[in-house]
Amino acid sequence: MRAEALKGHLDGMLLATLEDGPRHGYAVIEALRTGSGGCFDLPTGTVYPALHRLERAGLVRSTWSTVSGRRRRTYQLTLAGRSVLHSERSTWREFSRAVTAILDGGPWPAMA
Amino acid sequence: VIDAYLSEVAALLAGPAGARRQILAELRDGLAAAVEACQRDGAGPAEAAQRAVAEFGPPAEVAAGFAPELAARQARLVGVGLIAGGPLVGTLWLAALGTWPVVLFTGRLARGWAAAPLYGLILAIGIPAAVLAVVASGRLERWQPDLPRLAPGAAAVGAAACVAGDLALLAMFAVSTSSIADTSWPVLWVAAPLASLFRLAAAGRGARRCLAVRGVVRRTRESLAA
Repeated sequence: MRAEALKGHLDGMLLATLEDGPRHGYAVIEALRTGSGGCFDLPTGTVYPALHRLERAGLVRSTWSTVSGRRRRTYQLTLAGRSVLHSERSTWREFSRAVTAILDGGPWPAMA
Repeated sequence: VIDAYLSEVAALLAGPAGARRQILAELRDGLAAAVEACQRDGAGPAEAAQRAVAEFGPPAEVAAGFAPELAARQARLVGVGLIAGGPLVGTLWLAALGTWPVVLFTGRLARGWAAAPLYGLILAIGIPAAVLAVVASGRLERWQPDLPRLAPGAAAVGAAACVAGDLALLAMFAVSTSSIADTSWPVLWVAAPLASLFRLAAAGRGARRCLAVRGVVRRTRESLAA
């Protein structure tokens, strides 16, 4: 699936990959790929800059370490990031329930 | 293969040197992790490197992805520099003016100060522009996603105003002191113009860099839209 299709949901998904603990950039890409059953194979040019943007926005913070002689940047959620993730998750659940109800022709969940 | 790939990406990145170094170090680590993953799948070292590079995508696309972030970093760097340097240079000039003889402000010599109101106008443009550059490249992006786009332009305006301000100050200084024969000037008479000269050069370089990264972001956006 192309990155454009995820517009508006990328930040929430990136934050979700960091919910269980810190990850480096490539581990985030792999988590998105495996977590979506291979559906979201996002390019490097999308994921890494998005992580930098989230850090600038104060939603994640990064630390540098040395692993196997290489410098590694690891990202982790901030309190603000955790709060935004919960909000994104609620919004998505409400949105997906509504879209599913319409596409499947069923009743609006809140009225059921 | 990895080094050649990173060299290509490096050549396409525009922005602060420190930020570019960090991006390349991060990509190098990511590529190494991708190579390891390919080798775990049974690929040989050469094939794994080729597959890792292919997985990361064309260097132009990777560099284009980083362009807006690098532009914001560049704008923030220039904006913070302007805000931090302004009071320092301003204080030096005010201190220098305090030690000048009254004759420099009167009679024929006063013509050098005729442009003083211009400096107020320059400050009225430069200070808000520098503040906007810092604010727009910070955390407000969370609520105003389009705000960072303004940052490089605002930083360039702030830096250009700074250049104009320093030129005005130096011109006033040159005109006012040109008739002073005494060569034993107080330290502040030397320190203030030197500080202005240093800031003028730094602000000029900052303005050019901000305009350059702004151009890269615009071209990237146009190529994505095409």
